[in-house]
Amino acid sequence: MEKILELKDIVFDYGNLRAIDHVNLEIGRGIYGLLGPNGAGKTTLMRIILGFLTPASGNGKVLEHDIKNSHIEVRKKIGYLPEIDCLIPGMDGVTLAAYLGELSGMPKQEAIKRAHEVLYYVGLEESRYRKVETYSAGMKQRMKLAAALVHDPELLFLDEPTSGMDPQARKEMLALINDIASKETMNIIISSHILADVENTCNHVLIMNKGKIISHQEMSSALNQETFNIIELKLRGNIAGFKEKLSAFRIEQDDKGIYRVHLPMDFPSQSLFKTAYETNVQIRHFRKSKVTLEDAFVTAIGESNAH
Amino acid sequence: MPIREKGYYNWEGELKASYVKWLPIFLTGIKGVYKKRFSKLVVSFFLSYSFIFLFLVFLSSHPAGNFLKKAIEVIQTDKMLFYYYYTYESFLLFFMVIMSIFAGAELISGDLKFKSFTLYLSRPLSRLDYVKGKFSIVLFYLLSLTLGPAILLIIFKMILTGSFSVSVRVFLGVIVFPILISLFLASLSIMLSSLSANARLVKVIIFVFYVMSNAIARMFYDIFKSRSFLYISISENADRFGEFVFGTRRGGFYTEGLISGCILLGLTLIFFAILAIRIKRVEV
Repeated sequence: MEKILELKDIVFDYGNLRAIDHVNLEIGRGIYGLLGPNGAGKTTLMRIILGFLTPASGNGKVLEHDIKNSHIEVRKKIGYLPEIDCLIPGMDGVTLAAYLGELSGMPKQEAIKRAHEVLYYVGLEESRYRKVETYSAGMKQRMKLAAALVHDPELLFLDEPTSGMDPQARKEMLALINDIASKETMNIIISSHILADVENTCNHVLIMNKGKIISHQEMSSALNQETFNIIELKLRGNIAGFKEKLSAFRIEQDDKGIYRVHLPMDFPSQSLFKTAYETNVQIRHFRKSKVTLEDAFVTAIGESNAH
Repeated sequence: MPIREKGYYNWEGELKASYVKWLPIFLTGIKGVYKKRFSKLVVSFFLSYSFIFLFLVFLSSHPAGNFLKKAIEVIQTDKMLFYYYYTYESFLLFFMVIMSIFAGAELISGDLKFKSFTLYLSRPLSRLDYVKGKFSIVLFYLLSLTLGPAILLIIFKMILTGSFSVSVRVFLGVIVFPILISLFLASLSIMLSSLSANARLVKVIIFVFYVMSNAIARMFYDIFKSRSFLYISISENADRFGEFVFGTRRGGFYTEGLISGCILLGLTLIFFAILAIRIKRVEV
């Protein structure tokens, strides 16, 4: 496997708080989703890889460059879309993208030409001569993506790329990410709270909790875990009693009123009918459900917290 | 809004390794300052002031200048000409303060306000490169509007007199004086700019710093009649340093000028140290 990123025993502390706790990670080519609850250390890990923060111990390589001593070389090959709203005021879209291209080492004329191309690509061709501070939240996200792409990096870090976007804009942003990934010339790491975004775009998933990588697997295997039997139910009657009887299992309700019951693999799903009968509940719909990324995520975090 | 028709495609070029990584910051910053409202007005202060001296140099070599005999006599010698050019009633210093406010106050505070640091530092730039780029913008404007016209004055004088008569000391003074003052003012404005995201506040502080240093020095001098208090004043330090580098002080006692030069240099170093600490602590 060609290694894009290799981290060995990375530790980072904010004062007394251990933000990154002996992280070991090796990733190859592909599109990776980095998941974790708030404060898990996702952004800190990204900052360490980008060279913004220096780890207290451990070492690592990004695209064959040492993360401690070769920040400048690393950043030449990396594109970064930060989560925070950060643009340089007083510049229009083309000027900003070209400026950042020049700072990455592109010749001026090439940077201007490429700036037009990436702005066209992200769908800002009509607004490219507008001052960036007048852009809407969605346009700013696109602008940040254009800025991250302008120098054609080998590795792209996207920190909450769909943050602040309406559903249509979000869909378009994900389509862009999928399109970039489909060329297979660029590797992508996406940090997002929106699990559906990661599920729809990534082919690998990394889950962090309390500063550690607790799960690293291919998306297909994360979605084909046989640790639970998930049953979808539509119920009527004494639902509270039914839920109380099954309180040992995880039960969640979606916005359509469908309950998803997570049963252990050795628990016969037919016994749900018996429980329903005992608690005076009618089962109007019964279906074995697929494992979603959210299920895999919750399971991994639950197991991590239990240890 | 339509998205891509061709899909993503790679850039075929190659990133170049530049030794002056901050050059795009410098060049873009110069354009940015020049595009600001009132930039021409601020530049015109300097140019009008320089033009007056050019005119006096012209009159000094022309019979028509007799009616301004007294003024011309004062600048007959090179050292007096350049001493007055740089320090006369602190006009040039005042314009330099205005320019450092105009060009420098927003440079870092704007980036703090709009969190642009992340954009800069996600590029192959160090924090030092960033500071160099920003600092060079203010320094460029200050030097090109003080040292530039001074060099023109020398050339103009050479053309009128037909010989290169400027002594080495005066020539060095012409270069050293604006460099020290520009370094001082550029470091002050950039340092203050790094301390607050409010550019308006930074502008006020720079101006108040200049005005109050002069006012407080004058006040203490008037009360205690001791010239030592004049070291507090930026104008007075610049004036004394001017006397030192051009050798214009009557009696030839230059210790005060040397001390003033050291004070300005020392303050510049302190401003740089504060700037370095501040930039190092900015989170990205």
